[in-house]
Amino acid sequence: MQAPSIFSEEMTVNPYPAYQAMRDQTPVHSASFGPGQGLRGAWILMRHDDVYGALRDHETFASGFPAGGGPGGVSMVLINDDPPRHTRFRKLVNKAFTPRRIAELEPWITGVADELLAEVGPGETDVVSNYTIPLPVKVIARLLGIPGEEYRTFKSWTDSVLNFDSGGPDRMQKVFEMVTYFGKMAAARREHGAEDLITALVEAEVEGEALQDSEVLGFCILLLIAGNETTTNLMGNMLNVLAERPALWAQLRDDRSLVPIVIEETLRFESPVQFLFRRTTRDTEVSGVTIPEGQSVLPFVGAANRDPSEFPDPDEFRLDRDLHNHVAFGMGIHYCLGSPLARAEARITLNAFLDRFDRLEPGSTPGLRQTGSPIIYGFRELPLTLGA
Amino acid sequence: MKVVVDHKLCLKSGQCTYLHPEVFKEGPDGYPVPLVETLEGELLEGAEDAAEICPSGALALVEAASEKE
Repeated sequence: MQAPSIFSEEMTVNPYPAYQAMRDQTPVHSASFGPGQGLRGAWILMRHDDVYGALRDHETFASGFPAGGGPGGVSMVLINDDPPRHTRFRKLVNKAFTPRRIAELEPWITGVADELLAEVGPGETDVVSNYTIPLPVKVIARLLGIPGEEYRTFKSWTDSVLNFDSGGPDRMQKVFEMVTYFGKMAAARREHGAEDLITALVEAEVEGEALQDSEVLGFCILLLIAGNETTTNLMGNMLNVLAERPALWAQLRDDRSLVPIVIEETLRFESPVQFLFRRTTRDTEVSGVTIPEGQSVLPFVGAANRDPSEFPDPDEFRLDRDLHNHVAFGMGIHYCLGSPLARAEARITLNAFLDRFDRLEPGSTPGLRQTGSPIIYGFRELPLTLGA
Repeated sequence: MKVVVDHKLCLKSGQCTYLHPEVFKEGPDGYPVPLVETLEGELLEGAEDAAEICPSGALALVEAASEKE
C-alpha cells in the first residue's frame, strides 16, 4: 500500500488527503505502511462508524495501559483510567465542569476576553500569542487556583508533555518542574484551604477514601494540559476558518444565533484532537477485520469527522449539518469533561471578536500549523487582520 | 418527579447511563431511557445529579403525571 507516513510532519499540517486515501482501507495495522511508523504499531480506525463504536465500547477498547505508562510514558488520570477507578474520579471532578458552574464563570471569562482584546485592537496581530493561548490558560489557572500571570511557564510545560517525539532530558526536566510546582500547591492547600479546585481535590473523598498526593497531582496536570492546549487550538482553528470566509463573518455579525453552530462545525471540520488511544481487552471485529486482544488502537476522531458517509461533502464548512454525532469531544464514558467550558470559551471569544471587528481577514503572512505532535491540530502562529 | 430526555439536545455521550445505571439504561438507538417512571429518594438524587452533569443539557426533571393535583 502506497501511503504517506501517518505521523509525518506533512500529515500533522494537513492530514485530510491522507485520511481520504486511507479511510476505506481501515481498520488497518500501522505496520502495513512499513517500518518506522512509531508508537510500536497500532491499529488505525478512520471510519466514523468504527471510531464511534470503539469509543462507546469501553469494555473492549480500554484506556489503561500496562505498567510503564501510556503513550509517551505519561499516564494521565482519567484519560488512561478504566472503570472502576475512572468512575470514581469522574464523579469527583464532574461537578466542577457542569454547564451551570461554567455559566457562573462566564461573566468573568468575558472580562478576561475583553482585557486581552483591549491590548490587541484593530490591525494585524498574531491571535495565537495574543489571545488564544492566554485566554484558556488564565481560565483554567483560576479554576485550579494558580496565578494566571504564570501562563507562559504553564504553556511550556504542556508543550513538553504533549510533544512525546522530542523525548530526552529537556522534556523530563519540564515534567519534573510541573510536578514539583503542583506538589507545592497541593501541600499549601492542605495547610490552608481556598475556594478553588486544588482545595476541592485535596479535601475530596471518593467512597470514603481521600485522594493520594499523586492523584491530586495527576488531576492538576490533566486539567492544565487538557484545559488549555485543546481550547487554544479550537479557537485558532475557528478564527482561521472565519478569516477565510468573509461572507460568513458578515452573516454572523447579523445573526448571532449561528455562533454555536459555527463552533460545532469547527469542532467537526478541524478537530483540535485528531486521534485517541485505546487498547483491546479481547479479540474483536471492526468492519469485518479481526483485531486481536492486547493491541493498541488509534481511533482517528479527526478522520471520522470528515467521513463522507456520516457528513456529506465533509471538506466543506457548512452550517446546515446534523452535528450531533461529531466525535471531536470523544463519545462514551471518556466524553470530554471540559466540553461545557470549551464551548463557553469559544462562544465568548467569537462574540467578543464579532462585537469589535467588522472584518476578519488573513494577515500578510500565512498561519503556521504546529508540527510538534500529530495528535494535535492547531496553529503555532496565526496572523490575522482585524478590521474596525 | 420524573426525568425526561430531550432528543434534540442529547448527544448520546452516555454519561448518565454510565454514572447512574440505577436510573437509566441505554436504548437501542443510543438514547438514555429512564428505568423508573416516578423517581423518589436515591433514584431522584441520581437523576438530579445526571441532569446536572449532562454535558448537553438534555435531561430535565418534571412533575410526574401521578403527582399532579
